[in-house]
Amino acid sequence: MTTEATVHPTTGRVAKSRKTLLGYVPMISPFYAYHPATRLILFLFLGVIPLFIFIPEVNMLLLLVNLALLRWGRIDIKRLKMYMPVIFTVAIFMFTVVILAPGNDPRYTPLDLFGKTIYYQPVFFTFGAYWRLIAMLFGTILYFSTNRERDLLVGLRALRLPFVASYVVGLSIRSSGMFMEDFRTIREAEQARGLDTKAMRFSDQVKLYMMYLIPLFSIALRRADEISNALFARGYTLTGRTSTGEPRQDYIRSIYSYSKRDYVAIAIMVGIFVVTALAQILFGVFAIENSPLNIYLRQALGIPF
Amino acid sequence: MTENVWQLEEGEVRKPGIVHVVMLALFTGIGIVVGTFGSLAIPIGFVSAFWPGQAVQSIGSIWFGWWGAIASGLFPMISNSLSGSAPLPVSFAYLPGNLLQGLVAGWAFRKFNAHPSLPTGKDWGVFILWGAIVPNAIGAAWGSTMLVSFGLITQAAQLVTFFGWFVGNTIPTIILGGLILKYVSPLVIRSKAFCKGYWA
Repeated sequence: MTTEATVHPTTGRVAKSRKTLLGYVPMISPFYAYHPATRLILFLFLGVIPLFIFIPEVNMLLLLVNLALLRWGRIDIKRLKMYMPVIFTVAIFMFTVVILAPGNDPRYTPLDLFGKTIYYQPVFFTFGAYWRLIAMLFGTILYFSTNRERDLLVGLRALRLPFVASYVVGLSIRSSGMFMEDFRTIREAEQARGLDTKAMRFSDQVKLYMMYLIPLFSIALRRADEISNALFARGYTLTGRTSTGEPRQDYIRSIYSYSKRDYVAIAIMVGIFVVTALAQILFGVFAIENSPLNIYLRQALGIPF
Repeated sequence: MTENVWQLEEGEVRKPGIVHVVMLALFTGIGIVVGTFGSLAIPIGFVSAFWPGQAVQSIGSIWFGWWGAIASGLFPMISNSLSGSAPLPVSFAYLPGNLLQGLVAGWAFRKFNAHPSLPTGKDWGVFILWGAIVPNAIGAAWGSTMLVSFGLITQAAQLVTFFGWFVGNTIPTIILGGLILKYVSPLVIRSKAFCKGYWA
């Protein structure tokens, strides 16, 4: 999951892209000019800041920022197609639920939509909530599209997460890649023996999916023994210290260094975050009542503020 | 009468070790794959109509005690992010619910001396009640409450969300969890990573 793609020493070809958690990114992507900790802070910044913003237009703007960053980072936007079902079904789910169960606040304004009564306030609230959710999701997608398991590990260690915690996070993400590979191997073995999943009934496909887990668990058990023996042989302990009690040297972190642009980027993100959070908490600047669309619709529909 | 797998043998000493930490990471990895596939397979918004990840949560704590419960809390944070079913802050808020959702089954199997291979009706009963129904009721109640507190759904929509969540998780937990426990438990019980207690 973390290997450099297209490395073929025998043919003299060099790595041109990196395999991230969600795809491939060119080595020349501007994201890689930043320290992994800066990228992790960007993830936290983009993933958390919509929590303070209830104005849907601002969250749409944040979504555009995310998309611009994806493009700037030279990520293949086509790969985001896999999220389309989730993006649509989330909207369908949220609006269906709010139409079926709008609540019974007497201050709600009823509106007639194709013969069905809907209520303005909960529907607009849901509209705002949907864009908050999507803005947060794209912050996450951006991070996992541009970073490898190693970047996450370095980022967490740079933020002083204990060795055992960062090791577990790193190994779990790496192992999910290994299991995906094992899963593919099992499926290919089945196909090689003539199994045609397309011809199967849905219930059989579900059963088959479940049966994949049995070899995966068996492999995990064997792998746990192998990895723990390898760690033991190399003198690793749960505390991350050596047998003399000294902290173990962190090689992977030592090969990355901060530059001036990292400090500037972190300062800007922290600054915007603090200002946004305080503006909302103290003054309600990003409250849904301040949404221009909300104001326009209320005026157009004659709904009092 | 089936054997009591939770009973320590005479003179047996069990301590947590690196193998448990590694198993925690690998189990989290499996959970990420299963949870991500489940969320992407049949999504209906914040909840999936078929989320087999909960089966992995219950199984984890049955086999590996607290290590499995920690994995139960950890893997949804990553799989939700990868599948796009919940953003990071919401996933963090799910953490206590996920931990509890994972731990209940492990506690019940140890408390009621149920066998992880489910050889008897009593074992199945313990699994269905404490490994599927109770944890999913807890998880759905906690998760839908968090969605309300994050302002992602209205209070009035909580009940509908709760039922969608509960049904979407309980059915695959019973089917998938039952199958895995039945066929994989004999292997796991013999492994070093299996926990008779909560930590070892």
